[in-house]
Amino acid sequence: MTKDIAQTEAKGLPRMKPATDILETGDGFFIYVDMPGVRKEDLIIDLSDDELRIGGRSAYQGVTNENRIHVEFGNVEYTRAFTLSHIVDRERIKATLKNGVLELHLPKAEKALPRKIQVELE
Amino acid sequence: MVIDMSPFYGGMDNFDRVFNELWGPLNISQRKVAYPPLNISEDADALYVRCEIPGVNVEDIDLTFTDATLVIKGERKIEKGKYFRQERPTGNFQRVVNINAPVDVDKVKAVAKNGLLEIRLPKSEDTKPRKISIDMN
Repeated sequence: MTKDIAQTEAKGLPRMKPATDILETGDGFFIYVDMPGVRKEDLIIDLSDDELRIGGRSAYQGVTNENRIHVEFGNVEYTRAFTLSHIVDRERIKATLKNGVLELHLPKAEKALPRKIQVELE
Repeated sequence: MVIDMSPFYGGMDNFDRVFNELWGPLNISQRKVAYPPLNISEDADALYVRCEIPGVNVEDIDLTFTDATLVIKGERKIEKGKYFRQERPTGNFQRVVNINAPVDVDKVKAVAKNGLLEIRLPKSEDTKPRKISIDMN
C-alpha cells in the first residue's frame, strides 16, 4: 500500500478531475469545485477566449517521520476546463476559495438578463 | 449556458469511472464507498487522523471521541439554484474510526484547513517506551 503511493509520488502527482457543481441563479451562474488541500497561492484560474481553465495541486504536508497505517487519499493535481457562453460577463467573474471549495460566480451580462416587455395598446 | 467541453465531455462517465477506479488516488484503500476519505498515521507521540471534507464549515463538523472510537459526523449542504451538473456529494455523512491504543482524551486536538481536517490523538504517557535506569549496587 505504502509502496504504491511512493511510486506515484516519484512519477508526479496523479491527475484528477475535481467534482463540480454548475448551477444557475437569477443573476448568473455558480460553479463549485471541490479542491481539498489546495492553497490559494497554488490555485490557477485562466480565462482565454471562451475557455475557463482551473488547476491546482493539493499540498498536504509530507508525512515524513510518521508511520502510515491506513491511506485513502493523497496529493493530487486537479485540472478541469469549462466553456463559457457569450452571456457571461467576463469582466465581473469572481472566484473565492473557502474550506477547500472553489466558488466561481459568473454573472450574466446586462443584456442577457430577463427583461419585461411592455405590451402597448393600440 | 455554461457548457463543459473538456475532451471527456460528460464528467464522471463510465470511462472516467473505470479509469479512476484503476488509478485514482482515492482508491488506494479497499474501502471505496466510505466518505469522507481518511488517512491514519502515527508517530512516537500521537496518532493522526486526517480527512478530506471540502465545503463544510468547522462548526458543522461534529467530532466525538468515546472510549476507543472516534466519530466524524457532518452534513454537506446543497446550494439553491437550477442545477446543470451535480457531481459533489451532498447530505449527511459519518465515519467511525476505532482507535486501538490508549489515548490522552483531554489533549485531543482538531484543526481544519483548506478542506482538510486533521485530528491529533496524543498517546497516553503510560504506553510510551520508557528507559529504566539500572542502579549499581
